[in-house]
Amino acid sequence: MKTLKLIALAALALISLTATGQARKGVLHINEVMTINESNFVDDFGGRPAWIELYNSKFAPLEISSVYITTDSTTSPDTWYAVPLHDVNTKLPKRQHIVFWADGMPSRGTFHTNFVLAADKPNEIYLFDSDKKTLIDHVTVPVLAPNTTYARAKDGITVYDKDGNVDVAATWEVRNDIDEGKYITPSSNNVIEDRNDKVEKFADKDPHGFGMAAMAMCIVFSALAVLCIAFMIISKIGGAITKSNKMRSHGIDVKETPREERPDHDSGEEITAIVMALHEHLNAHDNESHVLTINKVKRAYSPWSSKIYNMRQLPHR
Amino acid sequence: MILAQNFFMENLNEFWQFTGFANATWQHFVMLAVGLFFIWLAIKKNFEPMLLVPIGFGILIGNIPFNTTAGLEIGIYEEGSVLNILYNGVSAGWYPPLIFLGIGAMTDFSALIANPKLMLIGAAAQFGIFGAYMVALAIGFAPDQAGAIAIIGGADGPTAIFLSSKLAPNLMGAIAVSAYSYMALVPVIQPPLMRLFTTKKERLIRMKPARAVSQNEKIIFPIVGLLLTCFVVPSGLPLLGMLFFGNLLRESGVTTRLAKTASNALTDIVTILLGMTVGASTQATTFLTKETIFIFFLGFMAFIIASSSGVLFVKLFNLFLPKEKKINPLIGNAGVSAVPMSARISNNLGLEYDPSNYLLMHAMGPNVAGVIGSAVAAGVLLGFLA
Repeated sequence: MKTLKLIALAALALISLTATGQARKGVLHINEVMTINESNFVDDFGGRPAWIELYNSKFAPLEISSVYITTDSTTSPDTWYAVPLHDVNTKLPKRQHIVFWADGMPSRGTFHTNFVLAADKPNEIYLFDSDKKTLIDHVTVPVLAPNTTYARAKDGITVYDKDGNVDVAATWEVRNDIDEGKYITPSSNNVIEDRNDKVEKFADKDPHGFGMAAMAMCIVFSALAVLCIAFMIISKIGGAITKSNKMRSHGIDVKETPREERPDHDSGEEITAIVMALHEHLNAHDNESHVLTINKVKRAYSPWSSKIYNMRQLPHR
Repeated sequence: MILAQNFFMENLNEFWQFTGFANATWQHFVMLAVGLFFIWLAIKKNFEPMLLVPIGFGILIGNIPFNTTAGLEIGIYEEGSVLNILYNGVSAGWYPPLIFLGIGAMTDFSALIANPKLMLIGAAAQFGIFGAYMVALAIGFAPDQAGAIAIIGGADGPTAIFLSSKLAPNLMGAIAVSAYSYMALVPVIQPPLMRLFTTKKERLIRMKPARAVSQNEKIIFPIVGLLLTCFVVPSGLPLLGMLFFGNLLRESGVTTRLAKTASNALTDIVTILLGMTVGASTQATTFLTKETIFIFFLGFMAFIIASSSGVLFVKLFNLFLPKEKKINPLIGNAGVSAVPMSARISNNLGLEYDPSNYLLMHAMGPNVAGVIGSAVAAGVLLGFLA
């Protein structure tokens, strides 16, 4: 028993460790990067540094403190920028963005990194988890023109090719705020959704609702049919086990006794007869309370002013 | 003296502007009359009093006129007000799963486990939802609104509130009141339909008594039920998860205290809060619209289609069943999930035609299958349209 408990505890610890390591991987993404900011987004000090936008693709808040951001993963982790603890703003709401200013001035606040982005050469940006080993996300940003960004085509989405490798061309694109749909969107969705596509599609393709009715009824029927079949099987197995236990209790060998000689089921009449006999023999009946409660009615004063009648009695219909 | 008199009059005038009399409109009085009607139905006619008393009184609370521009933080839609905090359980959709927990802890699924094919009747009755969806589209509702309205056909208040809070929050008040009103009217709506679609011979069909179900089967049911239904429709998880969890608390035999709390105290508390806040959400300004009339009409349609399709499905099913296993079509109406009201109606109607033909336990099968079916249907609509 003690060993079992130890094993369970160890398994629990292992699961929680794995869960911590995996918590931000796959849900926290580098979403958009601007390396030369001449006339774009202004920081809280009035400057225009380069910026890196992160995105939480989870449908739940995500704490990003103690995440590491760096442009050189070969250096000591001590030199990487660690997102500080105890800042309420590091809890990223569901499906929301946050912008980090790559100005090399971490003293300016939580969202100012200790490194700058190079303007004249590609930048590697790495996002590491608090263990400094788990790579959450990585992007190679090409040399960009001023006021252009390197952004995911769809927020938080990575496109893979047939071999399972990241399809960089399909995942990332250069945005210049001029071409149609190539808007620069710091702290906002790269793809702005102003309607529910699913509803629009149903309104367009299935205006009378026949498709929905047919599909949905099929699903409802199959869900309950699967349950029905499962319970037919379970009931058969259960019935067989009960029968076999009953035979055993009667001392009957199932293999040797012909089917017609087996006491397959007790009829309701037999059970009733047994119960009646027991009742007659033992004079048995349910235990009942013999306590009678009689409320004394005081007539000493008017019931209209009585707490007993007005506050403690619930009316019964 | 004159200054003091002016000050006095100004304050009295200001006070007048805050009173219900100064802010009342005819819509408020209509809604107050509706609330009083609900309370009358519940107390005098005994129609679903557990629901209609809280809803009716909630309508009175929600329709006391007040100055909405004064920032008093008293209205149900004013952020931070007490009513608004209580309403969060409705708007964020966490009251309905708690009610489902209670339903699970109250419900004995033995009838269904003993005769699993009755589950299909529960599935067939869900056609009411999708039939009403088609009518709602024809009237001109958008697909997400149509889905939220159509769920009234599932005859399940918590499910209707849950789905409408996700798909069409602006219509939730009307949908909830409509769903609960029709649930209360099940004894009026269903019997004529059951008579219409069945012959006298069919009403006299006697069904074999259900076999006894072992404790192990009852314990396995919620676990297998959860795994199978939620793997098919994960979006139904909040409702189905709580329903089956509540049932496991009941059937496990080792959590009696929890099951009692879930089925009594917890359900009662949530029912009070849910009913009252749903009633209060029907503020005249947002409730008395053309859409509300359509919603009540569609809810009625959905109930009729659901009840009829359950009965007709049994008739169809009987064509494929051997003579000794035929099902009495009077239990088809119980496929809607108004538990146990619709099962009681099957029983009463059965007894009317044969005083020794008790259909209650047979009808409980499709009735509880209807609860599962409507939660699955809600999950499907949520998956398709959210």
